[in-house]
Amino acid sequence: MTSSLMTVDQLLTVDRRSFVKTAAMAAATAMASRDARGYALPLLEQAPSSLAWNKAPCRFCGTGCHVMVGTENGRVVAIQGDQKAEVNKGLLCVKGYHVGLAMYGKDRLTTPMLRRNGAMVPISWDEAIETIAARIAANPQGFSFYGSGQWTIPEGYAANKFVKAGLGTNLIDANPRLCMSSAVTGFLSTFGVDEPPGVYDDLDQCDVAIMWGTNMAEMHPVLFSRLVDRRARGEKVTIIDMTTRRTRTSELADHVLYFQPHGDLAIANGIAHLIIKLNGVDSDFVKRHCNFRQLGAAVDANTAPDMLGVPMTFEEFAKAVEPYTPEKVEELSGVPAEKIRLLGELFARRDLRINSLWCMGFNQHTRGTAINCIVHGIHLLSGHFGKPGDAATSLTGQPSACGTAREVGTLCHLLPGGLAVANPEHRAHAEDHWNLAAGSISAKIGYHAIEMFKRFNTPTDQGGDVTTIWVQVTNPGHTLPNLERNFLRKKDLADKFLIVSDVYPTATTSLADLILPSAMWVEKNGMYGNSERRTQQWFKMVEPPGEARDDAWQTIAVSKALFDRGAGMKDKDGTWIFHTQGRDEQAIPIWDWAHYYDINVDERLFDEYRQFSRHKHKDLAPYAEYVKSRGLRWPVVQQPDGAWRETRWRFSGFDDPYVDKGKDFQFYHSVTKDDKALVWFRPHEHPPERPDAEYPFWLCTGRVLEHWHSGTMTRRIPQLHRAMPKAYVELHRDDAAAIGVLSGDMVTVASRRGAVDLAAWIGGRGDPQKGHVFVPFFDETQFINMVTLDAYDPYSKQPDYKKCAVSVRRKV
Amino acid sequence: MAMHRWNRAARPALWITLMGAGAAAAFASVDRAAPQAPAVSTPLRWRLNTPAALIVPESKALPAAVADKFGARARSVEARAQLRAYEGAPPVIPHATVDMNVQTCRACHAQGLTAGDKVARMASHTYLQNCTQCHVEADGLASLAAPGDPPKPINTFVGFRAGGHGGTRAWTGAPPVMPHTTFMRTNCISCHGEFGYDGWRPDHLSRSNCVQCHAPAAEFDQLAPTFGKADLPDGLSVPLP
Repeated sequence: MTSSLMTVDQLLTVDRRSFVKTAAMAAATAMASRDARGYALPLLEQAPSSLAWNKAPCRFCGTGCHVMVGTENGRVVAIQGDQKAEVNKGLLCVKGYHVGLAMYGKDRLTTPMLRRNGAMVPISWDEAIETIAARIAANPQGFSFYGSGQWTIPEGYAANKFVKAGLGTNLIDANPRLCMSSAVTGFLSTFGVDEPPGVYDDLDQCDVAIMWGTNMAEMHPVLFSRLVDRRARGEKVTIIDMTTRRTRTSELADHVLYFQPHGDLAIANGIAHLIIKLNGVDSDFVKRHCNFRQLGAAVDANTAPDMLGVPMTFEEFAKAVEPYTPEKVEELSGVPAEKIRLLGELFARRDLRINSLWCMGFNQHTRGTAINCIVHGIHLLSGHFGKPGDAATSLTGQPSACGTAREVGTLCHLLPGGLAVANPEHRAHAEDHWNLAAGSISAKIGYHAIEMFKRFNTPTDQGGDVTTIWVQVTNPGHTLPNLERNFLRKKDLADKFLIVSDVYPTATTSLADLILPSAMWVEKNGMYGNSERRTQQWFKMVEPPGEARDDAWQTIAVSKALFDRGAGMKDKDGTWIFHTQGRDEQAIPIWDWAHYYDINVDERLFDEYRQFSRHKHKDLAPYAEYVKSRGLRWPVVQQPDGAWRETRWRFSGFDDPYVDKGKDFQFYHSVTKDDKALVWFRPHEHPPERPDAEYPFWLCTGRVLEHWHSGTMTRRIPQLHRAMPKAYVELHRDDAAAIGVLSGDMVTVASRRGAVDLAAWIGGRGDPQKGHVFVPFFDETQFINMVTLDAYDPYSKQPDYKKCAVSVRRKV
Repeated sequence: MAMHRWNRAARPALWITLMGAGAAAAFASVDRAAPQAPAVSTPLRWRLNTPAALIVPESKALPAAVADKFGARARSVEARAQLRAYEGAPPVIPHATVDMNVQTCRACHAQGLTAGDKVARMASHTYLQNCTQCHVEADGLASLAAPGDPPKPINTFVGFRAGGHGGTRAWTGAPPVMPHTTFMRTNCISCHGEFGYDGWRPDHLSRSNCVQCHAPAAEFDQLAPTFGKADLPDGLSVPLP
């Protein structure tokens, strides 16, 4: 096929203007390939329709399934699982099969709207862009960008460059702070560099899969199927479900271990204790590849000890985990000692491959960094690392939490490519890539999500120095914890200005001062990065409705308006930071929507961004390579023959090209600079809030299969909404009897922060332990985040939505 | 793609046992208000090879499903579309379920059965273990329904519909090609067998190797180079101009 030998840019420059419509571009491509073959393709006599199929990653979770999108007459009309995709091999979940419907809710936002005298009135795009530019130019230090892991990679890169190169601040953060940041600090503390060493292939090859507090059957169903469908092929895989409530995952598990909140810290330490007791330590691996670590002393009562800790010896480590006997762990976690022994014995066996998996249970945790570190530690200690099937892998909840937030670094402390704001050398690299004068990137770390919104919801003269927030692709008015404190107070603060780019009215747009209608998913070009380091690409297939426009265009247009005002947005030569030119060296006015698709802006932004990926050995291939593939896992390294090769097992000599020849393992971003990973000791600690006489129940919040996050898309899909129309509270039947409620009765769930009324469900989707209740958070008619706690992990700044104390009463 | 497990020795006994136990009550109707047709009025379901004593036609007239094959086929296309957002979407579940235990699906759908006027079709991809990953209740949480519940969403999506025409034939009398994808639809008798759809059953159910004569149309095969009707770079499949 000729076109595979051409770069996408070449394809597009056949006729630059033709990219306005994908179909037009496709025509050119089709001609090229037909010419090359020298014959026209036969068409079946009775073609059933004029359906056209294109690949795209699913819009929803971090699994990163590929779908085939069927379009007809400018609309998406069908979806198939993509059989060429390694992630899902043709299978999807119910959300994925209905992803095409997410664009067709009747109440799509189609025109910019500004709040005037309390009412939202339609305005032009020009006025909207000028309004934002004026607001930022007046006080750039008071402006914060807030995005998400749903930003495409080029969108996130544009926003990050806008803030860090264009404005010279680091006032940008994203909702992976609420979702993934404890996994990040876990990887950084252990390996010195973010993201999992393992991949999904481990699911196909492990003997034991441990679900550490994740309900994979509902949250990552395609990956769960990849695991459990092995049984239908006659393979044996032992599934251990560690959980605080019985779920659909428990139904297919061999062992279900119910633990009390924070019991995970005790269990993991108990496994370390047993690995040592049962001679399960892989001494050779540990001696050559590991150092031991613990936290130093706290600086003072308000400042946590340094995240990278102080060294300890193996003997000191063994002594530290000595108290975590199975009996002690039973006392701390509620899991019977014999089950703790079972786990220890599994880890002590070298002949088994063990895959640990986790998601929000570990990450939304006030000791999230600690539990991530301990689990990496037990895998390293026992040598269950870096062989197919032996891995400790965190799963992500958003389609590009990894690709955009973590890799592009749309967080207040990061620069693209995993570079750190705090590191002067890293800032110099970024200044170099962006052609900025030395010292122009601020060394001051910006505000993390909770801090950003706390300040936004605090009067400006009382330290609330965040006065303008621009939210793209997320819904903080629904997802922040303790909403009264962190979102709703803004209502009474006249000088605060909230800009929201979105596709539907949400809890966030309800308080917005300016609403911008956005294009979504296949209404625009895009790229995502999934949980296994896989970078994916898709093309625009249909037009967005009304005046909805791409988020990246919105950012670029405001940047140009600021540049024109002389308010930053220029490099050291005075050139606009998003200056783009064609092959004829003529500037292309990409700030003008009419010309935005004259070229592929995604390709330009991505190929600029990928230069950053080399510093931390997260190498990305050129854009054109992703057009041809169903995603590639980084580091993607060019071979002598010119081909681009992806990497599955990082740090493993047999697969990772950055491991020195002849070495079996090499942690080449080691914290200790000696190519060794860190095995951490972190103690069991109690959560900051525990049930008491007044608030006697544990509350856990979470998700359901049918809905994705705050439900703004999935609640507009009839099949999903009808299957799961509203939130509920799961109660243990004894607790329900004690407070006198049956399924369907309304109860009030209240904490020190707020209350919400919900229907009780007993013996339903999940079954909590006695003294626990569970509430899904998707429902914007019943905000459980009025109740949740906003205490967070000291290192990742990620709040804990999984445990706080509540009362549960029959609604009066 | 073979008609596997076409062993029906135990089937009539199972069917009778379930009917006798009043299993019909376990099948919630799609339209709950619709009256249940009395079981006896269901004339003949296709149960070839079952002992003749179990088949009691009410008259010598051909059953409606046979006499009006094309009408039956059209009604089946419509019935099938009612449960799907588009052709190819996983059907929603038209009855209440035990919410957590996915294994209960298999009780009826592993082999298929009829109860009254309800048919539990045989699953066409039994190698997949987690049924509720793709199939959700058409009317979930009905037991928790309350007056103040959020309204149903208004969505303007219009799904692709199957044409309902049969597969193309090279000449009159030639075996038709399959007019649909066969991915996850490898068990032909799910739809074309005893517990399948009226109008879609062949007159030669005794033959067990369907793909010997019926080839899947390549245009539906994602792995075939003509998928999307154009041979384009991998990952970029669009129609010919």
